[in-house]
Amino acid sequence: MGSCRHALAVCDPVGVSPMPGTGRLEQLAQAVAERVVTLVLDSIDMDELLSRVDVDAIVSKVDVDGLIDRVDVDKIVSRVDVEKIIDRVDVEKIIDRVDVKKIIDRVDIDALIEQTELGTIIARSTSGVASEVLDVVRAQGVGLDDFIARWVNRVLRRSSTDSPVGPPALVGRPPPVAELTTGGR
Amino acid sequence: MTSVVPDEPVQGRQGHYAGAVTRLVAFGADVGASWGLFTVGAAALTFSIELVTGAKFSLTDHQLASLVALAMWEFLYFAYQWSLGGKTIGMAVLGIRVVRTDGMPIGPRQAVVRTLTLPLSFLLLGLGFIGILLNRDRHAFHDRLAGTVVVYSWDARAARLRWLARRDTGAAA
Repeated sequence: MGSCRHALAVCDPVGVSPMPGTGRLEQLAQAVAERVVTLVLDSIDMDELLSRVDVDAIVSKVDVDGLIDRVDVDKIVSRVDVEKIIDRVDVEKIIDRVDVKKIIDRVDIDALIEQTELGTIIARSTSGVASEVLDVVRAQGVGLDDFIARWVNRVLRRSSTDSPVGPPALVGRPPPVAELTTGGR
Repeated sequence: MTSVVPDEPVQGRQGHYAGAVTRLVAFGADVGASWGLFTVGAAALTFSIELVTGAKFSLTDHQLASLVALAMWEFLYFAYQWSLGGKTIGMAVLGIRVVRTDGMPIGPRQAVVRTLTLPLSFLLLGLGFIGILLNRDRHAFHDRLAGTVVVYSWDARAARLRWLARRDTGAAA
């Protein structure tokens, strides 16, 4: 052990003083200091000490903005595994605890509709349904008109192509016979 | 809702002579609308008279006056709307309108003549309407007297496009 003194000084420069002969003295001082600190700490009433500390004064001296400025939030966020956090969240439990009715009661639906295009969308969809119903009714009417006209023409042995389809101002004059046969040339 | 707008038969019918079914349904709608409005007006009149006089009033006690009022109302209902735009409420719903035989819009005179001669078509079991079925230009008796025809004003082609647009939107959703 004594023969290794120099070797220890080389291997562990922190644990051993570079000055030979002072190792034991340091160990003694260390032991005394530890004992003194323990005695001091045991004799201190921590509650009394803390009651004397003005926490507000300490906090007021802390530059919170400066601290925040020094924090790299992006770096912190990039290290957060969001997927893992989400997996650990029990959404059903959260939803069960949310009072949806209370939230809805607090929402001003009228103001919401005024600020968005929702009213216009509702109006458009309503008019869309109405026009669709009208189109269907009218189309059915036209279909039945044609059905009856075909049967009347059949009974009267009349060709449907001979009949004028409408007033000249609205459908144009019927083409002359020559135009029909020669393609207008 | 499932649309049943046919592909071909209704395309490009704007300005064509309107058929019997469409005209009949439009007339039925007009009769319903005019009677409904008359009933509401009569009820309002009865209520007003009772409110002012404090006495019990019923139109059934004044049947002749009621009949005259009804005839005047029906005349106003049809003549005013035909002179205004060539169509009544029922005709607007069914997409048809009254025009002159040459296709130009009718004036107040023709609207009045058509309204006054309309009851004549009901005579002899409605024989005045048989022309809508048998005539090539689908003239009823009162049409012949007033020099008018009824045509489709509904743009079936636009309806078809609307239907296709809605169908595409629905398919995309």
